[in-house]
Amino acid sequence: MSTSGQTSQNVWVGVDIGGTFTDFVIYSSSDQSLQRFKILSTPADPAEAVLQGLSQLPQHLSRHIVHGSTVATNAILERKGARTALITTEGFRDLLQIGRQDRPALYELFPTIPDPLVPREWCLEMRERMDVQGNVVIPLERQGIESILEILRRNAIRSVAVSFLFSFVNPEHERWVTERLREEGFFVTASSELLPEFREYERTSTTVVNAYVSPVLDNYLERLEREMNPAEFHILQSNGGRISVAQARGHGVRSILSGPAGGVVGAQYLAAMAGFPRILTFDMGGTSTDVALVNDEIQVTTEAEVGGCPIRVPVIDIHTVGSGGGSLATVDAGGNLRVGPQSAGADPGPVCYGRGGTIPTVTDAHVVLGRLPADGFLGGRMKLDVAAAQQAFDTLGKQIAVSPLPGLNERQTLALGLIQIANAHMERALRVISVERGEDPRETVLVSFGGAGGLHACALARALGVPSVLVSPMAATLSAMGMLAADVQLDYVQTVMLPGDTPCEIIEQHTQELISRGEADLLREGIASEQAVLTRSVDVRYVGQSFDLEVPLTPQFRKEFDRLHQERYGYCQPDADIEIVNVRLRAIGHVTPPPISARSLGSADSSSAKWEERPVVTGKGMQHVPHYRRTNCDRAMKFQVRRF
Amino acid sequence: MDDPIRTEIMKHRLVSVAEEMGARLQRAAFSPNIKERCDFSCAVFDALGNLVAQAAHIPVHLGAMPLSVRACLESITFHPGDVAMVNDPYRGGTHLPDLTVVSPVFVQNDHEATLLGFVANRAHHADIGGMSAGSMPLSQEIFQEGLIVPPVKLMVAGKKNEDVWRLFLANVRTPDERSGDLQAQLAANRIGIERMMGLAQRFGVSTLIADMEALLRYSERMTRQLIGRLPDGCYRFEDALDNDGFSEELAVIRVVITIDGEEAIVDFSGTDAQRPGSINAVYPVTLSSVAYVFRCVLGLDIPANSGCLRPIHIVAPEGTLVNARRPAAVAAGNVETSQRIVDVLLGAFAQACPERIPAASQGTMNNLTIGGWDQRHGRPFAYYETIGGGMGAGPRSHGTSGRHSHMTNTLNTPVEAVEYAYPFRISCYTLRDGSGGNGQQRGGDGIVRRYEFMQPAEITLLSDRRVGRPYGLAGGAPGQPGRNRLKQKGAEKTVDGKCSFTVDDGDQLIIETPGGGGHGTH
Repeated sequence: MSTSGQTSQNVWVGVDIGGTFTDFVIYSSSDQSLQRFKILSTPADPAEAVLQGLSQLPQHLSRHIVHGSTVATNAILERKGARTALITTEGFRDLLQIGRQDRPALYELFPTIPDPLVPREWCLEMRERMDVQGNVVIPLERQGIESILEILRRNAIRSVAVSFLFSFVNPEHERWVTERLREEGFFVTASSELLPEFREYERTSTTVVNAYVSPVLDNYLERLEREMNPAEFHILQSNGGRISVAQARGHGVRSILSGPAGGVVGAQYLAAMAGFPRILTFDMGGTSTDVALVNDEIQVTTEAEVGGCPIRVPVIDIHTVGSGGGSLATVDAGGNLRVGPQSAGADPGPVCYGRGGTIPTVTDAHVVLGRLPADGFLGGRMKLDVAAAQQAFDTLGKQIAVSPLPGLNERQTLALGLIQIANAHMERALRVISVERGEDPRETVLVSFGGAGGLHACALARALGVPSVLVSPMAATLSAMGMLAADVQLDYVQTVMLPGDTPCEIIEQHTQELISRGEADLLREGIASEQAVLTRSVDVRYVGQSFDLEVPLTPQFRKEFDRLHQERYGYCQPDADIEIVNVRLRAIGHVTPPPISARSLGSADSSSAKWEERPVVTGKGMQHVPHYRRTNCDRAMKFQVRRF
Repeated sequence: MDDPIRTEIMKHRLVSVAEEMGARLQRAAFSPNIKERCDFSCAVFDALGNLVAQAAHIPVHLGAMPLSVRACLESITFHPGDVAMVNDPYRGGTHLPDLTVVSPVFVQNDHEATLLGFVANRAHHADIGGMSAGSMPLSQEIFQEGLIVPPVKLMVAGKKNEDVWRLFLANVRTPDERSGDLQAQLAANRIGIERMMGLAQRFGVSTLIADMEALLRYSERMTRQLIGRLPDGCYRFEDALDNDGFSEELAVIRVVITIDGEEAIVDFSGTDAQRPGSINAVYPVTLSSVAYVFRCVLGLDIPANSGCLRPIHIVAPEGTLVNARRPAAVAAGNVETSQRIVDVLLGAFAQACPERIPAASQGTMNNLTIGGWDQRHGRPFAYYETIGGGMGAGPRSHGTSGRHSHMTNTLNTPVEAVEYAYPFRISCYTLRDGSGGNGQQRGGDGIVRRYEFMQPAEITLLSDRRVGRPYGLAGGAPGQPGRNRLKQKGAEKTVDGKCSFTVDDGDQLIIETPGGGGHGTH
């Protein structure tokens, strides 16, 4: 399946670290078997769970590991990255502090703005300035480096971000400083190497994030590599592609959102096998829900933010809402029923877990309505306290005036309402990533995974006009599966700001350097040139606009841009001047993912799969509904759908 | 009694319409002002022109938008496919660059079209004509500020109203950009209409109308509840703008807030008369400022709609700074006076509920317009920006530095984007150390931004708190006033808060914005 030689002794392992569980998917090429298991995560030292899981594999096997970790994300969220300094052009040391000078919440008199990753006293300046054409306005004052070195040493700084104005046009000054610091043994991230793209705040922020997380991530990966001794070791990047750990070193920002990326890649892989190239992924967890759009290709964005820090590297376009199974129901001052954003979390968890929760959650609503059987949760391993959940709704009912729906009592009406409100939150999220991105949900399939997704997917599909829902039996380990399905993928960008009438050949010349880098990097990944796909694109806008659209670089790019503009924004101006802001390159090395065969879990005789008829509350009142055991179902089986 | 579940669900659905409009407008617009700085708002209205749902964008647009929609309703008979535009500050507008585009939402059933409501969006255009580029001039009557657009039809039955379109574009300095931004505004309304019609189809017209009414009642109920929790009493405060740019005289705003059970009276009697300079606020601006402050003080959760304003009664005597009469100049009323109105209201609330109120923030938007002829590209240019400053300290926290406060929340234009598009460069952009007021909690620091010109250009500054200082609370010191400096041929001088001048190749303008007030005795 991979690029190196296959022997019967090979196994491919996808490992995904989540908040509660670390998931493993193991594919063995000798017998084409696919194994999946979960073990409890070890948040204090995430590597422990990984090693523990791998120790369950026979030692003699040659292991090819693809890993998704939250180490980099957590370093940002908990502000536990390397001691990092920033060096900017003179007059711009406060770029991180000022940001874009907006505040995160409009009506908050005391805004809470996360601290920048670099404290102000370690934001340093050098006298220099380039102009927009890359001409030197102020020559670099090289002796300035001496006092900077002293500050860095005095403060035991390990990692340095260097971001000068217009270094993406002329990197000469930035390069000199970078090399000098590297000579002195510092880990250095230069903005012109990492992200040669205009807009100083976002570029600087991305550079700083990389400087801050890379040393931490590198340590972690080195330790894993040492102890696991793998034949191959890849990590999943935020763009949904994998990369060898050797090449990932020093580029921590690229894998900062690798966890959620795995789920989308896994969903795309499974859905494609089922014949669905256009999907909406729907990953509903305990405290939040992630949704993403796959429109033949996984959609990426360069406008992501982690822990208050913008990052401008390509990231799978995942939209998150603070609504999940554990979201709490409350009554507000205007008398409305509200759901979330507060969550019962893992502790105490929903009321029905019997761990001391008293405020009803979305999960409790399902229990009260009979949609989560009390004796069938987690395959029967956990008993749910139905009476406690009911009690919690009765207490809530005393604070709110609800008139019972026909056939339902007050408690059931309230529980149903809670679910509908949670659905309204999630519908809004699904609209953001579909309609707002110019995609019609009616032409997609909703792919549900995550613990609670299946209970909501059909209602959401109906609200959005999505005709089909796909719920995979692999839903629980989809992210780890995604690790194994991910191609090698590298993204490159360069701001060029060329007039729109620039001949295509000239634009192509500007991509030459990106291509050489892409080819060399793929070669280092062991990708033979026949497996490599290099795609060039350009970011284009009408002159005067400040957002751009990415279109493939072909002689027809202008036409394609107008078409896309029309599709996205409802109008285009074929006669207006355009400009080419960036050239981009995506280098992909295709990987053959583990084959999953369509197979029956049970027999064609549905009677053996039928569990029992149980009472379930729907909008039409109490109904007796047949329940089936998924593990006994056969793919030839068909069910009569009843609309609730 | 309204259904607490249904109302909550519809709240999400309607806000989602406004959000989608906002996403469309931002993406499709041309000028950096709308795209990069997000100086726009989108909202959904009922058939009477009540604001039902708004996406969180710019506070100064909040209370004022319904008045624009109502002004259109009063003078236009809408048919399906019509779209109106308006910017007249004396007919529901705020200042001329803020152009509001209003579309009716009709639902066709049988042979009849029922008016369901309106969708509208307001965007700040970088130029709307008038005496100076950028249309934020040092004016003395509104006619100097640009093209006044009363409610007129931009589209008639789905077709461009070419006459209006041509007249409009003939009166502005950058017609291509204006045309692009207007297209984007139309595109935003189109998606809004589509989504409202989708909701009507899904839930039925009469149900949707009932839901919108319920949502207004819900916000009203919530506001009443929260006002009821404030201590009854009369709370007074006054503060002033430095001047109007034409005389040295302070411009004083006075307020008494009376909390009486679940209602409030906000009385601006005693406020100075309107001035020759453009610091006059029209009523919609005052209303927006009041709406903003109540929303902040009462809590974050009230959905922004017209219902919130029902328990609040405003007394704003005509012909004063807070309710100007035609043809007073108003360009700065929206951006500067609105900030002072907020300062005065918060100062009064600091007596009612001191634990919730911060000291004064910078109290100005530091409006800067730069215009002229771009020799590099051989075309005219008009650039407008506002600059953040220090925020006031609170009882438990230092003030944030270098941010926009209160009535605006626009993004800065990146230094590198400026240099690509305009013939000047920014050579310094840092925090202004020591400008925040001292106190147990320190006020936030202002910003220093330095502009270097490579060609002659025409500059207009509309800034305040260059003389007066943002107040501290509970013994905290006030923030430093701002300062505007001009370096020409080696000589440096301080220029006024509100002034207009020309610069040459090699000149430098340095703007230092005010710091926020401190809180508590140090």
